Amino acid sequence: MKPAPFFYERPRDLNAALAMLAANGSAKIIAGGQSLGPMLNLRLVQPELVVDISGLADLKRAEICGDELVLGALVTHADIEDGRTPDVTCGAMRGVAANIAYRAVRNRGTIGGSLSHADPAADWVSALAALGARLTLRSLAGARTLAIEAFVVGALESALQAGEIVEAIHVPARAGSAHWGYAKSCRKTGEFAHAIGAVLVDPAAATARIVIGAIDTPPIVVTDAGELFGGRVAADYKQRFDARVADILLVKAGIGDAVQRHIHVSVLKRAVHEAAA
Amino acid sequence: MNSIALNVNRRAVEVLAEPRTSLADFVRDKLDLTGTHLGCEHGVCGACTVLLDGVPARSCITYAVACEGADITTIEGLDEDEVTVELRAAFTREHALQCGYCTPGMLVSARDLVLRLPDADERRIRVGLSGNLCRCTGYVGIVRAVQSVIETRRARNIAPQPGGGRTILGPAGSGWAAPGGNEQPLRPVRQEFAAASDGIAPAVIPDFTPATVLEQRFTLPYAPAKVFAMFDDIAGIAACLPGVSLTAPPSRERVEGAIRVRLGPIAAVFEGAARVERDPAKLSGRIVGIGTDRRSRSATQGEIRYRLLPIDDGTATAVELSIGYALTGMLAQVGRPGLVRDLARRLVADFADNLDRHMSGASPGQLAPAELSGWSIVSDILRARVARFFGRRGEPG
Repeated sequence: MKPAPFFYERPRDLNAALAMLAANGSAKIIAGGQSLGPMLNLRLVQPELVVDISGLADLKRAEICGDELVLGALVTHADIEDGRTPDVTCGAMRGVAANIAYRAVRNRGTIGGSLSHADPAADWVSALAALGARLTLRSLAGARTLAIEAFVVGALESALQAGEIVEAIHVPARAGSAHWGYAKSCRKTGEFAHAIGAVLVDPAAATARIVIGAIDTPPIVVTDAGELFGGRVAADYKQRFDARVADILLVKAGIGDAVQRHIHVSVLKRAVHEAAA
Repeated sequence: MNSIALNVNRRAVEVLAEPRTSLADFVRDKLDLTGTHLGCEHGVCGACTVLLDGVPARSCITYAVACEGADITTIEGLDEDEVTVELRAAFTREHALQCGYCTPGMLVSARDLVLRLPDADERRIRVGLSGNLCRCTGYVGIVRAVQSVIETRRARNIAPQPGGGRTILGPAGSGWAAPGGNEQPLRPVRQEFAAASDGIAPAVIPDFTPATVLEQRFTLPYAPAKVFAMFDDIAGIAACLPGVSLTAPPSRERVEGAIRVRLGPIAAVFEGAARVERDPAKLSGRIVGIGTDRRSRSATQGEIRYRLLPIDDGTATAVELSIGYALTGMLAQVGRPGLVRDLARRLVADFADNLDRHMSGASPGQLAPAELSGWSIVSDILRARVARFFGRRGEPG
């Protein structure tokens, strides 16, 4: 099995990559290739030009700027799993990274590539939405910033416009008093999840963000999640978690199948329990 | 062809290869290192796992050209490797292989676990090996072999290496190459596909059992009889379906055409034919179709059943759709029901919107885009609209 033939370019810097992307409408960016590679091999995608950005050092930085972590798009899941990048999430991102696909995939798969692929069942789409992360997207016209929850607009559909790439991910520091829970349901370890629950609850500040992910469409992100805990977030949030509210959110998102909703609610509940543990 | 230079098993090699050549094909076909096995060729089975800059990577979905300057170690390069020597002995002792097809990839992944894991925890070993499929021996012997090597090494006070020895950021194998591209920019050979109307449409459309059924519903502010009459206008309905084009004049029972769908970077054009059935007494009908996408060598069978129900004292209509399909071929490899469900939801939302506009007198030229590519701009409006209907259905009464 081989992809259809393509031209291959290795740009010297980000601007050169953006120029190649702008000049060829059918060009595809490749970084680690863990999502695009299978599609090329199956010939589901047949770009005329593949622009390999995996060598661009500018996109490999990982640093703390003020009270947020800025990760270049080329940082791999394994980089985060192993702690080669700084952490502002008290280990939350390490835990998520360690359970993405398989180690051989994590050694090449990048956080920017995973987001660009916009698979609703991918881990970062949900986890970073719960953590309140933002993205910098860049094209020749300049840069813009977007909240993660506004980035994925459908199955494999992102807000990226023609000629635009994901440049960096900005992760805000997790408050010391905030609890984190992340759960997913996979039939086989390492497969795309059938349900994801992510919660960031801060009883001290009486705030909570919850995400119900892997629901075919973009994840359900509730930034002010008091309604899921009987109207207010307090130390007893685990006991106050109201599965019926989560179920209604899923109905509103178009999940008509009661069994599917039950799985999603159960996984979210697991994430809440993990946060409270 | 590009001249690709890299280091394989501590030997510098430089060979001509096309950019589309996978690292696996590169070592097997150009260097005769056939110990690297190919199974699924899309990153699932793990048979092709090699070491890239010292850490495991899938050589089937890593292109050789992207590894310019990197260090590759295949199973042949691990003959003298201390950990692999211990693993080989353990695999033999524990009967950890039978046909041996998965073994090269299994050993590369096992070696990585031996280096990284702090102890021989069975669960962590099983999770760590979950990306390497064995279809004959089973995993009991393999897990035992890996456990025993970890136990003896930790007993000898050999400490684990958490990152497997990697210290730099970014994809393994990247960052060694100078900028550049095709040295001889030959135009890639493109297979041209025949035009749509060369008799691909099947004469008989068989019945089938859908593998997946999706329920969709939307409402229109017109009486059911008027909507049903609209559903009888095949050309009009086709004009409202995003991405649909007709290749022959439709009759009342049969329609030939193509539907163009886009799922992220995947674009498919299913060409075929459909049979149209209708039941005026029940204001319902059924469209059964069959089509193929030649580019991805995929085929689909699908049916749409519709039922019109009066609402708001008969002044408006609820359109209930049941969409069933079966997908085979390459697209089925990535076409998880969830992804297709979202696509169908988007198609139906566009269809509902177009139908509404068509019935209110808008000309086809004012109708929605020829395919779903314009989706993201209007997504919020349409999604809100569909969500509203689902929301209404979810309430009691």
